[in-house]
Amino acid sequence: MNTKNLIIAFGIGIALSLTTAPLQGQGQGGAANRPAAAKPWPPQKLSDGQPDVQGIWAAVNGGSTSLTNPISGGEDFDRRVTGENIRRPSRVIDPPDGLLPYQPWAAARQKRQESDYEHPSKPEHIDTQHRCLISGIPRLYTIVPSFRIIQIPGSVVFVWDEYHAYRVIPLDGRPHIAPNVKLWIGDARGHWEGNTLVVDTTNLRGARLTYIGDFFSENAHVTERMTFVDADNMTYQATVDDPTVFTRPWTFRIGHRRRPDDETWESACWEGNPDPDVWLKK
Amino acid sequence: MFRNLITTGVAAAVGAAAAIGVPAMGQAPQPSQPAATRPAPVRPAAYNPPRLADGHPDLNGIWQALNEANYDIEAHNARPALALRTGPYGPVPATAVIALGAVGSVPPGLGVVEGGELPYRPQALAQRKKNQEDWLTSDPEIKCYLPGVPRATYMPYPFQIIQSTKQIMMVFEFAGALRTIYMADQTEAPADSWMGWSNGRWEGETLIVDTTGFNDLSWFDRAGNFHSDALHVVERYSLVDPDHINYTVTIEDPKVFTRPWNMNMVLYRHKEKNFQLYEYECYGFDFENIYPYPDLGAAR
Repeated sequence: MNTKNLIIAFGIGIALSLTTAPLQGQGQGGAANRPAAAKPWPPQKLSDGQPDVQGIWAAVNGGSTSLTNPISGGEDFDRRVTGENIRRPSRVIDPPDGLLPYQPWAAARQKRQESDYEHPSKPEHIDTQHRCLISGIPRLYTIVPSFRIIQIPGSVVFVWDEYHAYRVIPLDGRPHIAPNVKLWIGDARGHWEGNTLVVDTTNLRGARLTYIGDFFSENAHVTERMTFVDADNMTYQATVDDPTVFTRPWTFRIGHRRRPDDETWESACWEGNPDPDVWLKK
Repeated sequence: MFRNLITTGVAAAVGAAAAIGVPAMGQAPQPSQPAATRPAPVRPAAYNPPRLADGHPDLNGIWQALNEANYDIEAHNARPALALRTGPYGPVPATAVIALGAVGSVPPGLGVVEGGELPYRPQALAQRKKNQEDWLTSDPEIKCYLPGVPRATYMPYPFQIIQSTKQIMMVFEFAGALRTIYMADQTEAPADSWMGWSNGRWEGETLIVDTTGFNDLSWFDRAGNFHSDALHVVERYSLVDPDHINYTVTIEDPKVFTRPWNMNMVLYRHKEKNFQLYEYECYGFDFENIYPYPDLGAAR
């Protein structure tokens, strides 16, 4: 490859990461300042034809605060201390206004849960993460801890070591499990479209999505697209279709990046969790 | 092809032998039998397992132990209940579990400990007795705590071995427990944990997992058998045929036991069509229904 082609390829790379992963690089100097990818790209093919994307990954700006104003934990602290109204671009890319398209009753419910979260007086006002319940799909892709991708013949496996959460995604097109079975992690069936892993997730339990009380019901159907845009970047996009809670399907997007140096330790959250009373304001 | 068929047949026979209770394969023949009438020793067939691209045996699959070790790793009679109290003529079910009847009783088991009784130090033996007496409030399984190692392997629920050429993990249905087996970049345990810190290596066809860094909070079974934070576990996983793993564990814990001791059992592959792990997040049973909020059902 001559120099001119290299420059063009680099330019296309930047353009791609800008168009497909708008959140990546925020506050981190942007794509242009990142070192050149060390891993081979396009990815090598595994024995069953999957692109090899194994390794440790994490959301670029992780956190459970909010999807529509995804401020970091530090910013949340600043906001509480200073009273300053810090805004970050919504992760919701559809609808275009960046808001969750709740039905009126559900919008009122979310507002109440946000207020309850600030002033908890009952156990159900405490977010599921603090109760040590497993965060399900798609919330696990929005949080801080890194996860590991392992690919075995016929499946892609995601493991959040710290939360001892895992999801095995079969690629063989097998049918979904019985509809009465509800799982926090859902029932995932996947296939590869080039370097994009497309996952169809059903059998979800109704769950909280954020600290501020966003939620969906057990009728939610989630379609995920994980696009590996280069050796070190992945764009996670999930479309939530839940006619019980929302007026229309909606989609959010979060950039993920390789974090090869992350260490993953057991968190044993439940084993050390205090009685919820310690958080309640009574 | 013909030769392969024969090999498969031998392997199946060995697997069947392992399955029907000949756990210590390669044990010396009984000395009481005169040498002249002793059948020619069956050589352990060198089973040639399917392999991953890196040449190592492929352990991928969903596995489960079929034994009563989670009740009591030692050989034991059936017992009337998991929690007992002293009755006028012997032990009877504790009041709290009487209503469960036979469902709450303990099935008998051959035991998975090799070589007889566990070599407890005297003080540790007293602690096990106390664990049995206080079982209802003490067994970490009742609280749905992470089960530890090797208990996670032989709890009566499925677990999956996830093995790529880069990584081996084990994920368990119960409590969503999991283990990372570090095959490269091995380090000492950075901190104590429930599931320990596991480094793995291959010795021929056998996966050997060396685990340390345990806390002293998990147990081996529902019979109060326990360990300290000095626990060191070495496990050996060997495929004896396509669907059976010969599983041997060496337990070393000088604070609790006078010498190392072994467990041996067979792990069976789940063959059901489209079998997969579900969730057994038992810790959430008390409060999972209040999320996403208590009366969502009314909204439908």
